[in-house]
Amino acid sequence: MSTLFSRRNKKLKLKIRSIRKVIAFVLERPITSYILLIVVLFFMLSPIIFTAFTSFKTRAETFQWPPTYFPHKPTLQAYEEVIFRSPLPRHLLNSLIISLGTTGIVMLGGLFTAYGLSQYQYKGSGVVLLLFISTRIIPPISLLVPFYIIMSWFGLINTYTCLIILNTFLCYPLAVWMLKGFFDVFPKDLIDSAIVDGCSRTGAFLKIVVPVSAIGIAAVAIITFLWTWNEFLYAMIFTNTRNVQPVTVGAHYFVGDELVQWDSIAATAMFTAVPGLIFFSIAQKAIVKGLTAGAVKG
Amino acid sequence: MTCSKKKNMKVSNSKYGVILSFPGLLIIIALVIFPVGTLFVTSFLRYTSFPPIRFIGFRNYLYIFNDRLFWVALKNTTVYAAGVTFFTFVGGLVIALLLSKVSKGSGFLRSLSMFPWAVPLVISGFIWKWIFNPNVGIFSDFLMKLGLISKPLPVFSDPNLAMIGCIVADAWVRIPFMCIFTLAGLESIPTELYDAARVDGADCFDCFRHITLPLTKRMIFIGLLITSMFTFRTIDVIFSMTEGGPARATYVLGYYIIDQLWTRVNFGTGSAAGVVTLLLILSFAGFYVYLIFKKE
Repeated sequence: MSTLFSRRNKKLKLKIRSIRKVIAFVLERPITSYILLIVVLFFMLSPIIFTAFTSFKTRAETFQWPPTYFPHKPTLQAYEEVIFRSPLPRHLLNSLIISLGTTGIVMLGGLFTAYGLSQYQYKGSGVVLLLFISTRIIPPISLLVPFYIIMSWFGLINTYTCLIILNTFLCYPLAVWMLKGFFDVFPKDLIDSAIVDGCSRTGAFLKIVVPVSAIGIAAVAIITFLWTWNEFLYAMIFTNTRNVQPVTVGAHYFVGDELVQWDSIAATAMFTAVPGLIFFSIAQKAIVKGLTAGAVKG
Repeated sequence: MTCSKKKNMKVSNSKYGVILSFPGLLIIIALVIFPVGTLFVTSFLRYTSFPPIRFIGFRNYLYIFNDRLFWVALKNTTVYAAGVTFFTFVGGLVIALLLSKVSKGSGFLRSLSMFPWAVPLVISGFIWKWIFNPNVGIFSDFLMKLGLISKPLPVFSDPNLAMIGCIVADAWVRIPFMCIFTLAGLESIPTELYDAARVDGADCFDCFRHITLPLTKRMIFIGLLITSMFTFRTIDVIFSMTEGGPARATYVLGYYIIDQLWTRVNFGTGSAAGVVTLLLILSFAGFYVYLIFKKE
């Protein structure tokens, strides 16, 4: 009985080994990686693709069952509705103002802070750095109440200023952390030789360091812009009128109690996702570098 | 210029560093230390829309610990964070492995795989709400065409399915980040290691188990910690997909805090819930900071 069992076991092992050989052989072909990658990427991107298709459907078609995958009669109805007969353009403008304001402040302050922490370390600069990282850890949601109280004191509820301040809180530490990553690998000889040549320290920074690491700085700026653009929680709590609400909040306009206007939602989704998609197509490499240098955002 | 030069010569390098990082410090104090202080102070106050505001010790904490909803929210948040982290891990690892094998056109494929990251979480919620919708969405239709199910899945009326739906929508946005993180780890492995293993007769499974996994372990681990930390506190997807329903199946801690602020208008209990969330995440984070600094 036991010999029979072990023989069977041996056979099974051989079988597993040969199956494994076949799978390994298939997996090691480069073409397999390509095919698998394309299949996986198709599923990853299908939400975006089919949302794009839906934005070109007529409203009647979006309520059909079974649902259609491609628009039968492509129209621009949804886009017309969104642009001309909804408050969305206003929300997009709000988002733009808030994002640009935040990016400006964060970059202006962040550049100097990061450079100081990276090149001119002082007693306690390690503690400051730790403070910056730990800031990222504080969940924004747990500060809802204190921020609400503080903003009410200053009468800032429902203003651009309020959202710009809060987004600065969200992005500043990380921007510093990423910029510091770039400045850390900057060749020190270049700065020293500029200073020997009679440049002031600030001059060396502005004339040499900033231009040379421009790509990295641009990446951080783009990431800051996108985070602010995508931010939702604070925008929802601290704004309540169309004149201030950014697009992430404004998108709920098309969700009624009973009826959701899927075609308009799809068009809104396209508008909202467009800045990110454009930035990614242009500066993918720089952004990836920035994110892995910072490595703190999910 | 000459004036600033003279000024600069006076201060030492370390003082110059202090001056440079001063705006950052100011922001940290104004936007972090002050609000966190307020958070802790308010959590010990009786603070509602009706006066008086007074000190009541730990009564706010007692209230939320005796609140059944708080425990429901905590349980849901844990399930949610664990689910998103799991999906993100698997998706990120698979795509990163495939991307690392591909050489021609890898830049283009990388851009494509990063796209979901640029979609706001709220919009991702809307997109998946449409995909999963049993009346108009393509998910049920697709499965029915494959013959896997006979009638549309009621994703948003079944508690478990609603949770899974939210998890998928959230993970979808987070996979690209995990992917580039894993990819950075994969690319730091010297190719000689693989060549040497090949010579010794190892196949791709052996390579994965004995080279890839041990060498990317740390990177993947940090990625997982970040993902779980960030998922633990988001409500964006849930807000646009299920609004906490059905029957509070997707009611998470974020919703609980918002309810304290909006529905009950009680700043005290809201702060107390905030403190609890903060402490929970800090326990994750201590570990994470430890890992970062261990490297240096």
